[in-house]
Amino acid sequence: MVFVESDPVGGARAVTSPAAVKILVAGGFGVGKTTLVAAVSEVTPLRTEEYMTVASVGVDDVGGIEDKTTTTVAMDFGRITVNSQLVVYLFGTPGQERFWFMWNDLVQGALGAVVLADTRRLESSFASIDFFESRGIPFVVGVNCFHGRIDRDEREVREALDLGPEVPLVMGDMRQKSVGRDLLVSLVEYLIATGR
Amino acid sequence: MDDMEAEDADDAESLFVRPYTITQGRTAPARDDLTLITIVTTVEPAPGRAGTRGLQPEHRSILQQCLRPAAVAEVAAELNLPVAVTKILIDDLVGLGRVTTRPPIAMAVGSESNMTLLRAVRDGLRRI
Repeated sequence: MVFVESDPVGGARAVTSPAAVKILVAGGFGVGKTTLVAAVSEVTPLRTEEYMTVASVGVDDVGGIEDKTTTTVAMDFGRITVNSQLVVYLFGTPGQERFWFMWNDLVQGALGAVVLADTRRLESSFASIDFFESRGIPFVVGVNCFHGRIDRDEREVREALDLGPEVPLVMGDMRQKSVGRDLLVSLVEYLIATGR
Repeated sequence: MDDMEAEDADDAESLFVRPYTITQGRTAPARDDLTLITIVTTVEPAPGRAGTRGLQPEHRSILQQCLRPAAVAEVAAELNLPVAVTKILIDDLVGLGRVTTRPPIAMAVGSESNMTLLRAVRDGLRRI
């Protein structure tokens, strides 16, 4: 690990800055990403946004001129201070998947990801799983059981999501801090076990 | 009543100032190394160097906020500006020597220092 810190101008001093790592929280719309971030974050989740320039699907073909549109993508994030030298940021990926997949700054350098799934519509998490697999970003899966209701067991969920046996899976109510904590710990233990 | 007026003024500002007006039309920072989790820390000026003349209100807000180190994403959220615009403003302050930046920890797969980091993260998460 190499720490590079920009030099303050002579005669000035800066307080020691912590270093940061980030974990992504992904999954389909309304699956509980912000709920999880809120449950484990030491601050109320913050919201920030970014402009994304995307090639728009051609309605009018202007011939040779690439048509681009700018859209705004918002995301919620929280923080967990490990110690004075280390802070973990949790970024809930924006609901519009086709946009955040192109947001390199969000994806690059992430330790790993948590993919949340809802048993009533598991297919809404397929895109996130495919994305992390294709980018080689390690992930764990959290199945959000609202009000403790579980209508599928772990084996069924693994099968439906086509998850390898090595991918950790945690089922629980993501509003509970202990469930979110277990999910994040399972991700980091997975990273340690696989030598990431 | 005063409070209400202040609130109106804020609303008017956020409604009518286009984000890239704040950056004087610039759409990219001079340097390209700021990330969402780059940590920004205000440099406490030596006596006599404390001036904020020539700085825009947003620059001053950043200097105030980053007395306690904060990530670029946190600064953007506090300013209520898009990340890209916030990066330009932070970059201005880096150029003036008013803030320092610390990039995210670079992960080297399988390295011993990486394992030390991961164990620290795990232990920290277990305590929440």
